[in-house]
Amino acid sequence: MFQYQAIHPRQETSPEVEAIVEAVSVCYQCGTCSGSCPVAPAGGMDYTPRTIMRMIQAGLEDEVLSSETVWTCAACYSCAVRCPRDIDITDIMIRLRNLALVRGYPPRTNVARRGRIYNWDFMQIVRRFGRIYELELVLRYHLKTNPLNLLGMAPVGLKMLRKGKLRFLPERAEGRKEVQGLFTELEDKGK
Amino acid sequence: MKYAYFPGCSQESTAEEYNRSLLAVAQRLDAMELIEIPDWNCCGATPAAAIVHPTLPDGLAARNLAITDEMGLDSVVAPCAACYKNLRKASLDLRKDEALRLELEQSLNNRKLDRVPEVRHPLDVIVNDVGVDNIPVEKPLTGMKIACYYGCLLTRPAGGFDDIEYPTAMDRLLTALGAETVDWAYKTKCCGGGIYMFHEEVSFAMSADVMAHAKAAGANAVAAACPFCQLLLDLYQDKLANIRNTTFNLPVLFFTQLMGLAMGLDRAELGLERLIVSPFGLLAETIDAPEDSREKPKRARAAKPTKWGEA
Repeated sequence: MFQYQAIHPRQETSPEVEAIVEAVSVCYQCGTCSGSCPVAPAGGMDYTPRTIMRMIQAGLEDEVLSSETVWTCAACYSCAVRCPRDIDITDIMIRLRNLALVRGYPPRTNVARRGRIYNWDFMQIVRRFGRIYELELVLRYHLKTNPLNLLGMAPVGLKMLRKGKLRFLPERAEGRKEVQGLFTELEDKGK
Repeated sequence: MKYAYFPGCSQESTAEEYNRSLLAVAQRLDAMELIEIPDWNCCGATPAAAIVHPTLPDGLAARNLAITDEMGLDSVVAPCAACYKNLRKASLDLRKDEALRLELEQSLNNRKLDRVPEVRHPLDVIVNDVGVDNIPVEKPLTGMKIACYYGCLLTRPAGGFDDIEYPTAMDRLLTALGAETVDWAYKTKCCGGGIYMFHEEVSFAMSADVMAHAKAAGANAVAAACPFCQLLLDLYQDKLANIRNTTFNLPVLFFTQLMGLAMGLDRAELGLERLIVSPFGLLAETIDAPEDSREKPKRARAAKPTKWGEA
């Protein structure tokens, strides 16, 4: 028996999460991750990274995967580079985000819901063009979340327009078929 | 030396001036020749790619790395910090994970990745390959007090070209060009660029912190090396100032634009007019000011000794 399996009370987890539980088992809850995180103190997370680490150890799979934190981590790697136990906290957060999406966990908060829409739409555009097309991303995002926000975006949009920072037509990569093939293949592999 | 150049999506839209100024600078430096990767694709940007599939970011990057290899070049230069991080991570993953490499080669129409190219940031190439002393300075950046803002992804994950907490490459570069750089604690603090679309309030709070610290350190300009950082600090600067009930009025330039200025390049090539917070006032007061009208640096006066309990 590995030491991490001895944590009580400990819930059963799926094999994908079990791999994460093992990686996090060495965490001794020093809190360096939460202390380094720029998002948590700004009020952007429902659970701090340290709490998430402990929840993983306890096997609280559903709670972790439906948390706001997995969506609002800015992926700046501040926690990962400072972790004295060398846990790849950021990559773990991103993996949790992937699991939350693939398994269709209902987002617990509005921010999590919006994060999901934004990230998903971003990749759908890359899939189509092989590159990102900012204008469509912004329009799609606001139409799906709150179309009224587009009015609020107008001043910023005008500023960008004046400086030539908005591109009207998408840039298409010739190799987008290849990129689409990559998406399909990886998706077919069962995510 | 020849490098494959991966511009990245932002370099063609919001941060076109970064692209333009970098190419203008590179053209003048003999030791740095950039050749654009033909038909490159998006690197996967923020963690978005990884939510679709954990290996998708590596896959997207692998296509660009394979084309680089086909070009016969062994290093890629990526100016955007997010592209740089994604490509670099993929390069490292592909080198150590044979199975991943074979899998991705197959997914990419059997492209070959026998030699996985190395991934570099232009700042790294300029400071470590070209060398700060080999940059021709025609118009020193005298009078500019610059807060060098590296952002979070330029030095992370660890093992890159500079320190993860307190990098100095940009400071060394800009000091060699005649500027003064300030010592501050927010060099690698995240601006919140990756979440600002859906978590605006929080990312603005993060960016406002960065700006407030730059201002408090006495800077009169900020130098950026990432299109996301630059966009947040420049385009939204009035909003950030409102959060803090203050005004910043600090131009946020790409470090390549500052290099172009110091090297005396044609200013039209540097895209300075595209910046939202105009740098022209500052330039007129500092590097463009006639020699004798420049403000003499004040000698620091020793603080008056205070008795215990008085402060």
